[in-house]
Amino acid sequence: MYRPLLAAIFLATPALADYKEVVKDHILPGYAAFAAATADLAEKAGTSCDPEVLRPAYQTAFDAWMGVSHLHLGPAEEKGRALAIAFWPDPKGLGAKAQRGLLTGDPAALAPEAFADQSVAARGLMGMERLLYPDEPPAADPCALIRATASDLARMAGEIEAGWRDGYAGLMLSPGAEGNDTYLTEQEVRQALFTQLATALEFLADTRLGRPLGTFDRPRPERAEARAAGRSLLNVREELAALRDLTARLAPEAAETLAAFDRAIGLADKLDDPVFAGVADPQGRLKVEILQGAVTTARDLAVAELGKDLGVSIGFNAGDGD
Amino acid sequence: MATRRGFLAGLAAAALPARMSWAEAGSPAFVAAGKEGEGYSLHGLTERGEDIFRIDLPARGHAAATHPVRAETVAFARRPGTFAIVLNCVTGAVSHRLAPPEGRQFNGHGVFSPDGSVLMTSEVVAEGSEGRVGLWDADGYRRIGEWKTGGIGPHDMKLLPGGRLVIANGGIETDPTDRTKLNVDRMRPNLSLLDSEGRIVEQVALAADLHQNSIRHLATHGDRVAFAMQWEGDAAIAVPQLGLWRPGEAADLCPPVEAETFTMKGYAGSIAWTADGARIAITSPKGGVLMLFDGRGAALATHRRTDLCGVAAEGAGFVATDGQGGIWACDDAGLTPLAKGEAAWDNHLVSCRV
Repeated sequence: MYRPLLAAIFLATPALADYKEVVKDHILPGYAAFAAATADLAEKAGTSCDPEVLRPAYQTAFDAWMGVSHLHLGPAEEKGRALAIAFWPDPKGLGAKAQRGLLTGDPAALAPEAFADQSVAARGLMGMERLLYPDEPPAADPCALIRATASDLARMAGEIEAGWRDGYAGLMLSPGAEGNDTYLTEQEVRQALFTQLATALEFLADTRLGRPLGTFDRPRPERAEARAAGRSLLNVREELAALRDLTARLAPEAAETLAAFDRAIGLADKLDDPVFAGVADPQGRLKVEILQGAVTTARDLAVAELGKDLGVSIGFNAGDGD
Repeated sequence: MATRRGFLAGLAAAALPARMSWAEAGSPAFVAAGKEGEGYSLHGLTERGEDIFRIDLPARGHAAATHPVRAETVAFARRPGTFAIVLNCVTGAVSHRLAPPEGRQFNGHGVFSPDGSVLMTSEVVAEGSEGRVGLWDADGYRRIGEWKTGGIGPHDMKLLPGGRLVIANGGIETDPTDRTKLNVDRMRPNLSLLDSEGRIVEQVALAADLHQNSIRHLATHGDRVAFAMQWEGDAAIAVPQLGLWRPGEAADLCPPVEAETFTMKGYAGSIAWTADGARIAITSPKGGVLMLFDGRGAALATHRRTDLCGVAAEGAGFVATDGQGGIWACDDAGLTPLAKGEAAWDNHLVSCRV
């Protein structure tokens, strides 16, 4: 009795949703959570360098990142922050190489200001993963590097959060206002958010799922994201949830797209393959391929449905290629 | 603008002489192709981005070649191109329609010889995508011959001093009926330098590990060439989008700063070089950025704007266009809006300065 009634009330309520709700209820809380989680990790790293002690806080910080990793706008893109926070994929192993240099090199490089200028490949969540889930004993005591990496991560998260709260959110919420050269019209804001959605779904299908899938003849399970931390599937699941939330706030009428998200999330929930190790065997591979197909379907439906509802599209030039 | 167009239409009706100068076309600084609603058009723009003229195109355009003397522009179709249209930029009248010869396709770009007597068009042999320079007598637009470009899938081409022609052979073989890429695993792009008789006098290729970096667009300063590339390899591998070359020397690649390694998503859509040689701009609509370099290829700044692609030099800086109708002034500090219209601007903003 109770549930249908709630559903009826929900349906009867006019949808209060648009880009403003995305900024206020999706983006700002997402970055606040990420800033808080990374601050907590840095604080804990200040008291212990024991990977066992730090792993829960690290996992929580990564969870929070998956709520905002799809947003390539403003403060996250400045100074290469998003790239440093999650430098993946890294097929040439640049991160591990740069990190070895930091472990065995001049400790002055680990001072906060100097560390901010170190390679984007060595820092952030992927750098932290190599320190907390090492596949071989570290070349030197990693404690100072763990602390530097955790503090740097918290610094970047704080800068992004402050940059949004004190500046970029205002630009997104006041398109066309005097002096706002970033967003000239409301439509440009919707277009920018739609682009984040479509691009993130492509990255999910092609990279987060596509890289470990490789080809049938050459599956590449070793290329799965955050494998050591056991997060490959979890990242997909969490990003799908974040993108569904973005869609529901931007375009709540997009029923087919939301249903496609629910289907993909349901498949991810049922998939018992946390680091996509199963891609190497035909049965396991098929399951990951089905999830990839569901993500691609969600992307195609989002482009069609939001394109129609919001009057947005993949960029005229960005989608062309010449 | 409507008044001006009406005035021009009136002039056209009054049977003007066939040959008119750029001054009579309102001296546009640039021409650009665009999409308005479901239709396509070519626009003449002032250096402030104001519309001077607007001419319908039958299908999506790409780039254009402007005649050095006459107010005449050749608008090229998007690849694989079946048409090029010679437009009188005073009257808006189409003076000629060019179709590639049997078995050839236009490839989006072209250039007039320095004296304006010959139009050279970037073309491929439809089967196999081997490159050709189509030669057209610019006095009547009769096909008068063709040269080999020295590579597969040529795209942009530009003049160098001495009537030489530098060609970006992008290396990509495409299906003649669509744009499917057929040889990405074995592509070998190059820059080829042709003398004024069409002989290939020099070629430069990239290192083997960059063989999937398609050289597509060019800008020149004196005898130096800046080239913009599009990466067809693993998106996770960082590669430069800009290179510099002076004939007789090796090519230099110009990576962005490390934090901007993937900002352009491996894709540069347009390139321009200021007349004073001090600044080079490349754009990436896929990354939504314009990246500035100095004349020696050192990265200076990154400016963000969704779907930005067209760029042309203007004074010490640039003017850039985006797919949302925006026209922007660009300097080291950033982008400043000049105009916003209805047309979604296409890949290229072509300078009329000669």
